[in-house]
Amino acid sequence: MHPEKLKHDFEPKIIAFVCTWCTYAGADLAGTSRMQYPANVRVLKFPCTGRIDPVFILKAFQQGADGVLVSGCHPGDCHYIAGNFHARRRFAAFRKLLEFVGVDLERLQFSWVSAAEGGKWVEVVTDLTEKVRNMGPMTEFKELALEEQWSGTIDTPELKEAYNAI
Amino acid sequence: MTQTIDTTIYAAVSEAIQAEAKRILTAGEVTAVVGYAAARRKGSAQPIVITSAVDAQKLIFTPACVNNLAVYLTKAKKEIPKSGRIGIVVKGCDLKALVGLMGESQLKREQLYLIGVPCAGVLASTIQPDTGLTSDSIAPKCLECDAHLPQGCDFVPTQTPVSPELEKKYAAEIARLEALTPQERWAYWKEQFSKCIKCYACRQVCPFCFCEQCLCDRNKPQMVDTTPRPAGNTAWHIVRAMHLAGRCAGCAECERVCPMDIPLNLLNRKMAKELKELYDYEAGFQVNDKGPLNSYTEKDDQSFIK
Repeated sequence: MHPEKLKHDFEPKIIAFVCTWCTYAGADLAGTSRMQYPANVRVLKFPCTGRIDPVFILKAFQQGADGVLVSGCHPGDCHYIAGNFHARRRFAAFRKLLEFVGVDLERLQFSWVSAAEGGKWVEVVTDLTEKVRNMGPMTEFKELALEEQWSGTIDTPELKEAYNAI
Repeated sequence: MTQTIDTTIYAAVSEAIQAEAKRILTAGEVTAVVGYAAARRKGSAQPIVITSAVDAQKLIFTPACVNNLAVYLTKAKKEIPKSGRIGIVVKGCDLKALVGLMGESQLKREQLYLIGVPCAGVLASTIQPDTGLTSDSIAPKCLECDAHLPQGCDFVPTQTPVSPELEKKYAAEIARLEALTPQERWAYWKEQFSKCIKCYACRQVCPFCFCEQCLCDRNKPQMVDTTPRPAGNTAWHIVRAMHLAGRCAGCAECERVCPMDIPLNLLNRKMAKELKELYDYEAGFQVNDKGPLNSYTEKDDQSFIK
């Protein structure tokens, strides 16, 4: 028996960058335990959170993600000893940069989910999906991609006049 | 209010640099000296590499000596360090870049003979080279300079630069932007980045952008759009700022060379400020094996992680 599915106006696209040793296994546990979580999340498996370059997050937003989740092993549990410690610093800095450029940080979630925390995975994914659903689509990067603007806004009266004369 | 900045010591500093360059080249301590020489326009200066003691008289230091010469040792003239020990004229900000490069194993201290410059400031990129140095014509990076006198050099002229307390333009601008809403900040940067023509001058002039192949030039996979359109521009500037976070020495060369006047150093200063707050790291005169983003402690802040 499946619980009745709610119909929503907007289904956000959530990209999850996860580490193979903890969160991927955690998500797998959620699946084998038959826990339900939103199908909005697209999971991408990486060897370690330390392998997840901030540029991947940027690329995900540019390619139409409405939310991004980055998840890996708890500090101290890294398969490669220190990958997640390095990632923690890098993402702390990257968050500050995105914030300064004007990206809403509510769309970017970091979490530690171990291989035993299927329940936490469900909770994190559900929370982020609902949060992003309420915020609506991420339009900033999509609008940028559609723009063909060269070297600033050309709106001086002289240029407009010249353009109209053509 | 316009304040005049005293640059009378620069003449004596130039003489001291010439004498020292002559001495080390004659004694054979170095094979070449990278410094500044007068250029053709009145009052302007350009980088020069001299290899004989006769040419030492060409070296000068004036407020127009804006370049960070460290870039000649990593990229522009990569063969220079291979030819033997090199003398290089450095301002405080340039020395921080060299120190950063030493920390990243790009240069060795014993390969270099550092001629430090007591510097009260240099001119902004938009100012004519023979203008006097005032609080209006000075480069914005010099307003926040804490390195007027380089430390740890092999030779520093004895003059002491006079540096009055000036209004910190970057700090004020960062505070102004931080107070805006994310939407307003996005609109601001969208306007700025849309000016970009992707000439990559900021990359070419940066002493820290020394990768043989830049991530942004690779097309398998293509992480950053290469066309000079808003999407690719934004991605490029975010990637650039991220790759320099915790490494940038604050020489502001990127902003100086930008033909479209994008406030690039604003991003670098913001990241420097955040890394100072988060990990108590600042670019300085001390060579560190590891920067803030390739080291860690177990107690790092993780309040943003669920």
